[in-house]
Amino acid sequence: MALIETASLSKYYGPVKALDGLDLRVEPGIIGLVGANGAGKSTLLKVLLGLISPTAGRASVLGMDSVKETRSIRQVVGYMPEHDCLPPDVGATEFVTHMARISGLPRTAARERTAEILRHVGLYEERYRQIGGYSTGMKQRVKLAQALVHDPQLLLLDEPTNGLDPAGRDEMLDLIKRTGTEFGITVVVASHLLGEIEQVCTYLLAIDAGHLLRAAPISTFTERTPVLAVEVEEGADRLVTALVASGARARQDGARVLIALDSEALYDAVRDVVADLGLPLVRVQQERGRLEDLFRDAAPTTGSAG
Amino acid sequence: MSAPRPAAATSRAGNIYDLGYRHYEGKRNGRAYAMWSLFVESSRGIWGFGRPPTAKAAPFLLAGFYALPAVIQLAFSSVLTQQVASGQKVTLLAYDSYFPAFSVLVFFFCVAQAPELVCRDQRNQVLPLYFTRSMGRIEYALARLGSLTTALFLLLLVPTAALFVGDVLMKPDTFQAVGEEWPRALPALPANALISVGLAAISLAISSFSPRRAYSAIGIVAYVLLVEAIPAAIYSIGQTSGWSWSDKLFLLTPLTSLNGAVDWFFGQKLDPQSFSGSLTSGEYLAAALASIVVMTAVLAYRYRRIPA
Repeated sequence: MALIETASLSKYYGPVKALDGLDLRVEPGIIGLVGANGAGKSTLLKVLLGLISPTAGRASVLGMDSVKETRSIRQVVGYMPEHDCLPPDVGATEFVTHMARISGLPRTAARERTAEILRHVGLYEERYRQIGGYSTGMKQRVKLAQALVHDPQLLLLDEPTNGLDPAGRDEMLDLIKRTGTEFGITVVVASHLLGEIEQVCTYLLAIDAGHLLRAAPISTFTERTPVLAVEVEEGADRLVTALVASGARARQDGARVLIALDSEALYDAVRDVVADLGLPLVRVQQERGRLEDLFRDAAPTTGSAG
Repeated sequence: MSAPRPAAATSRAGNIYDLGYRHYEGKRNGRAYAMWSLFVESSRGIWGFGRPPTAKAAPFLLAGFYALPAVIQLAFSSVLTQQVASGQKVTLLAYDSYFPAFSVLVFFFCVAQAPELVCRDQRNQVLPLYFTRSMGRIEYALARLGSLTTALFLLLLVPTAALFVGDVLMKPDTFQAVGEEWPRALPALPANALISVGLAAISLAISSFSPRRAYSAIGIVAYVLLVEAIPAAIYSIGQTSGWSWSDKLFLLTPLTSLNGAVDWFFGQKLDPQSFSGSLTSGEYLAAALASIVVMTAVLAYRYRRIPA
């Protein structure tokens, strides 16, 4: 059974098509949902949660229909919104316990789970202080904690690293990774930052203007491409000339030289040419695809599976 | 049930406190429990429990002021007893006239605390967290309404109880006095309940339309003042112009109709000094009940439409 499935899912806000005939099939894992601002990421999450109903098409979560079985879905899904959603005048413990009880956990269980989850997300002594005095990083942790406290099977995170500094960002990404791997909870991370998705996710969904752009394991985006990149400190132009003369397809890209990797013999050829010219070699490596290429143009130049 | 999971425990060897993540396999309650939990949180919030000390000031001061006259009468009951015994005519505070006399304080309580209940979650955008859990929009609205109703009922109950104790203590034979006093005090309970629901429904329905506390409070005051004043104005014009229907407009008023309905429970004729026109307390009761239904529907409508 697919975890999330949508069939020609559409949501229009007047003339604006937030989702336009989206077909998806998501298997468990840590899933990155990328797209520019306004691509329809938040709308998709809200449809899955039954917060808004689709204009056309259908969506299901764990085999349950997003419109008809909203309540059953909500029992097993945790949601962390993009915006601020915490009252400033209560402590984190009190707030998360309350949310656990709204999810149906009995009083004692709610208290125990809250203590446990706040420890997991890295809130210790400060958890009794009022949330209003927290840093952005701490608030993001509380938001994650309230989404996790009822032990969901699926966690939907909308821009979880919004407003965090680089250190806070890495900690949050690490937490998400742990949630997906150690806790065994499927996580969908919506983000417009490809770097983050690349860091934590195993599977990628790229949407653009309400359409599905690509859906594939992250490795297929970043796998090796048949291009060899040679970086030299100086004399890149001379290297290109020499390589082209020897019959290789090479071009200069800044300080680097990109060569079509036709055969294993090319490595030897490059070594010999560099040695002959006496160039200061920095590195020789096979090029990897990058996620950015996905959005750069429709037909990625270096992609293997284009 | 919560058996330790050795696999998880040993995966982080060296730290005996960290048992790793444990899944929750216990009981999960349904919607009624979620509503009850919100009701409890809400009731704590009204009185400022679990909030900064400043949050307790307004509710307790207003409740205190409202109960004060009855408590004073209770404190002086021994003095009053002598006066009653010596045959002096003493005007005492009574169950049926207490709310009409001091209703402004109860109204202030609503103005201060109703916005607290419904604006806070809108302003801090907490609603999506509720609506993505096993809590429906209407259930949310009803739990909030229930908590304010209960708080108002308690607020009204304190002076009623104080009057009861005072009246009993003024009589020489306590046991006999309790027996005599019960039937007179009992109508105060349904009357208080009606006032509580009525005021809670009006103030929450109006507050829920703004995320800002100040605007909500102004909205309640404006609504009540206007809807009280307009029928009175039209009635006074109607008296000179001979509009016989103009006294029916009093049925639309929020506070006057509650005051009139109170007298229905005590089986009294309306005092012509405070009630103009030919309306009966039964008509006021029907009007108060209709207002509760309408205001609850407005509140539910608002929460159905509120963006989350």
